[in-house]
Amino acid sequence: MLDHYKQDYNKQRQQFVLIDQLGLVLEYTGILLPIKKGQNLKELHPFFESLDALLAMPNPEFSFYCVHLDLGTEDLIADIDMVRKKEGMLLVIHDLTEHYNSYQAVAQARNESIINEELIVLKNTELEERERFKNLFIQNFSHELRNPLMSSMAITQILSDTSLSSEQEQLLEVLRDSNTHLKLLLEDTLSISMIASGKLVMKNTLFNLHKMLDLLSFTYKTKAKAKGLQFTYKAAKQVPEYVEGDRLRLYQVLTNLLDNALKYTVKGSVSLTVGFNQQWANKVHLHFEVTDSGPGIPEDKQPTIFETFSQLASPDKQQGTGLGLALVKGLLALMDSTIVLHSATGKGSTFSFDLGLKVPLQSAMQQQIDIGSAATSRKMGSPGRKYKLLLVEDDERVLTVLFKMLMDSDQFYIDVLTDGGEVLETVIQNEYDLILMDINLPNTRGDHITRIIRDFPFKNVKQLPIIGMTAYAYEDHMQAYKEAGMNTVLAKPFDKEELLQNIFMLLHS
Amino acid sequence: MQRSKKVVILGHFGVGKTSLIRRFVTNQFSDQYKVTIGVHISKKVVTLSAEESISMILWDLEGTDSLDQVRDAYLLGTHGVIFVFDVTRPSTFQQLNSDLKIVSKKLPERPLLVVGNKKDLVSEKDLNELLLSHNISHDFLTSAKTGDTVEDVFLNLATLLNTDA
Repeated sequence: MLDHYKQDYNKQRQQFVLIDQLGLVLEYTGILLPIKKGQNLKELHPFFESLDALLAMPNPEFSFYCVHLDLGTEDLIADIDMVRKKEGMLLVIHDLTEHYNSYQAVAQARNESIINEELIVLKNTELEERERFKNLFIQNFSHELRNPLMSSMAITQILSDTSLSSEQEQLLEVLRDSNTHLKLLLEDTLSISMIASGKLVMKNTLFNLHKMLDLLSFTYKTKAKAKGLQFTYKAAKQVPEYVEGDRLRLYQVLTNLLDNALKYTVKGSVSLTVGFNQQWANKVHLHFEVTDSGPGIPEDKQPTIFETFSQLASPDKQQGTGLGLALVKGLLALMDSTIVLHSATGKGSTFSFDLGLKVPLQSAMQQQIDIGSAATSRKMGSPGRKYKLLLVEDDERVLTVLFKMLMDSDQFYIDVLTDGGEVLETVIQNEYDLILMDINLPNTRGDHITRIIRDFPFKNVKQLPIIGMTAYAYEDHMQAYKEAGMNTVLAKPFDKEELLQNIFMLLHS
Repeated sequence: MQRSKKVVILGHFGVGKTSLIRRFVTNQFSDQYKVTIGVHISKKVVTLSAEESISMILWDLEGTDSLDQVRDAYLLGTHGVIFVFDVTRPSTFQQLNSDLKIVSKKLPERPLLVVGNKKDLVSEKDLNELLLSHNISHDFLTSAKTGDTVEDVFLNLATLLNTDA
């Protein structure tokens, strides 16, 4: 009985076909292939047509695995053995359709996963390359803008110290505003690029949060008034006076949010609120909120407004780079915070974020405040004494304004060089109190000269204070110049006050 | 006169071997990627002249990571080879020279065409840069999706096979 079952089973899954040298069916068993005695197998499927060459080969047998024999009605997937017999060629066809179909599903998942992974890697590489190119472009672009902006700012300042008619005063005010605006745009562009390239590092220092918020309140009350808007500022009484965090970046976040609110609000009010969430150990959690009564942001636009170069049309047609909110998002991410937007068309907007800031211990705080006061007191120049400075700068416009700034203070004798290759000899042959030197100098770079000076055997040269000036304002560049031995590095553009403060800080230390 | 010629289509998985054959044989294309396991065999008669035509028996082999893994039985009786790579995936052509050496070793003196597929997904400029930077010498660049240059590949091979006969 079992033989009967076996025969029946095999009949369903196996077929034996004997063919001659021409491919004609001599005998067959089973029902897998719909064949007839005397039929040429080549007519059944192209697989058999390509066996001609094999029939002429001397090999005693061949095996083909996983052959898809599409016979019109159903797809048979079979292993096919071919064994040479004295009567002709015996074909044994094993139906393994079910087995191979399940294998197909596994192979499909495997291959798709490998291909997807590969495509993701490629996409990422492409995006990284684009990002790198973009950041390099921004870096160079920012560098090229810094020197002319430096000249423009300095000349504006020099002009303001001369006697001007009231009309000229007004024009100068416009120029000053434009300079400030341009400088802020430049800083924002650079910050965005630094965030994207992972070069921006938060600097935690102790600062007076109350003072910073008061300054913001004063500034934006004035700006709002000029636009006919109301400005309100509220801070919870638990907001600590001193905190540790990156003051510059928090200031940048808040000014961007406030500028944005003012820009889009035509009537009504803008407000800044600082709330207290909680304080755990030495960390305070604050809630910052900037609200405006502007036109609001349509829901469909909300997901994209934090992207770089994205901006809505402003009601007063003011231009912008579309960097502000992207910068806010990026800076807050670096501070482990997230910007939240609540807005609806016609109902104004509220941008808010929670921020954890360290509250320093009383003793550490007093120590740092003392250090700060001492530094501030050193910023003043000593009356009566004049210092000898070496000014090294190859950009003629920048050189002119720096020279004028320094001469106007009436505290310096100044030697000027425009070539890095001449600095060492000049320093050895003269006695200077300080060197003010550009980085990107012809022949020998400023940071390279600094390294040589710091390796010099004579103390009067070796310990000479050096202030570097650079239009490459990336933090890693600035750090590298300091590591080369520069005492301070100023990022262009800087103003007269910043320059003199830094000079006297070094001269009196 | 009509002769049958067995042509094997080789290459890594996912490069579009099946799509090229489908485009050539039935002039169809599907965006859905279906992995080929084992071998699918199809046929198309190519007319070369009023007197001559070739019945191309196209063996669409399962794509592999390495051509060493191709079962020798599938290659028995092969007359011509088409090696396909995907111009969008470097892993499919980074080892092109060693892959072609394997092909030449397994199937010596057979006409062989090297085809870069999916050209529709890359700009001409990027494609030229890519091929140059990887030092790839190819015979044809195709798009099974648009049908671009597909027919040329098979007609060219048919001519080579006819000359070879």
